[in-house]
Amino acid sequence: MEGPSAASTLGRLKALGFTHALSIPDSESRQLHAAIENDSDIELIVPTREGESIAIAAGLWTGGAKPIVIIQNTGLMEAGDALRGCGLGPSIPLRLMVGWRGFVGAEARRVPIDSAYTYTEPVLTAWGVPYEIIEGDADLEAIDRMDEMAASSSKPAAVLCARGFGP
Amino acid sequence: MIERIDLFRMVAQHRTDEVVVMTMTATLQWPLVSDHPLDFDFLAFGMGHASDFALGVALARPERKVIVWKGDGGLLMSLGSLVTMGSYAPPNLLVFLLENRSYEMVGGQLLPPGVDFAGLARAAGIAKVEQYDDLARFGPELPRLLSEPGPHFVVLRVDNHETLPPVSHTDHSQRVRGLRTALGVQSPS
Repeated sequence: MEGPSAASTLGRLKALGFTHALSIPDSESRQLHAAIENDSDIELIVPTREGESIAIAAGLWTGGAKPIVIIQNTGLMEAGDALRGCGLGPSIPLRLMVGWRGFVGAEARRVPIDSAYTYTEPVLTAWGVPYEIIEGDADLEAIDRMDEMAASSSKPAAVLCARGFGP
Repeated sequence: MIERIDLFRMVAQHRTDEVVVMTMTATLQWPLVSDHPLDFDFLAFGMGHASDFALGVALARPERKVIVWKGDGGLLMSLGSLVTMGSYAPPNLLVFLLENRSYEMVGGQLLPPGVDFAGLARAAGIAKVEQYDDLARFGPELPRLLSEPGPHFVVLRVDNHETLPPVSHTDHSQRVRGLRTALGVQSPS
């Protein structure tokens, strides 16, 4: 099964009014990263670590912008203190697109199972971050629901991107 | 060496409508000299990330100067943020690094010796880096720093001989919404 197309995903992000995308390149999201980089409607910011992404996004939102944070699950785990302090604690509605490294391997029952796969859902659940899973273009409406969930709860919400983006 | 409360008094006297983001011991002393709706207490929002948050505010509000009081221990927790600051270089960002060479807030444990904070900032691509250890030299430069396009990264060698007030435990959500209101942010989401 193919992952969602970067062009369709970017179109949805633009329709939802995102002003900035904070993206650190990884193997699953590189096509989406490139699509945002080549588009002038959403400003791309490339921080050096994911905790930094979260804190910059919190500042952008406080200043009136609407950022989306695009990170891999490994980076989400690194960014725990930032997500606590800049999202969950102060009720900042951060929108997160999280690449689910390890999903495809686990689905194919390849061993050893990537621990990044294993701990992603439990970590989001433990932090109380609601999430939906995106596997392909047919699932992209989950981004709209994630956006609405963050807005209505004024808390972080996420979509888990199970497969790498295609062009 | 600059006595920190004297530094704060001097900056507060010159400050007009700039956002001021502070963290760690600055959150204890800055409120002694300033009570302003654009003051933002970042304490406990995320270790080492005060200037990242300020970078976001600066990018969202390019018409508004954003000042950060950041500690040297906090900078060591997020050295990569210097690279991001250098890359995106918002002209309205002014970082004051309070260099006291210790983790003052948690007991005064010493930082690794020999770290050149100004050198780190320059090597990360920040063009306007300055350093002061004397208030008499810093004072005449302050009006320029507040008005000239940046970003500026200013290392200030400070000491403190004052008794520190207790930590303020105000609601974090209200701090954020208070700053949004002070900035005139209308959008609800």
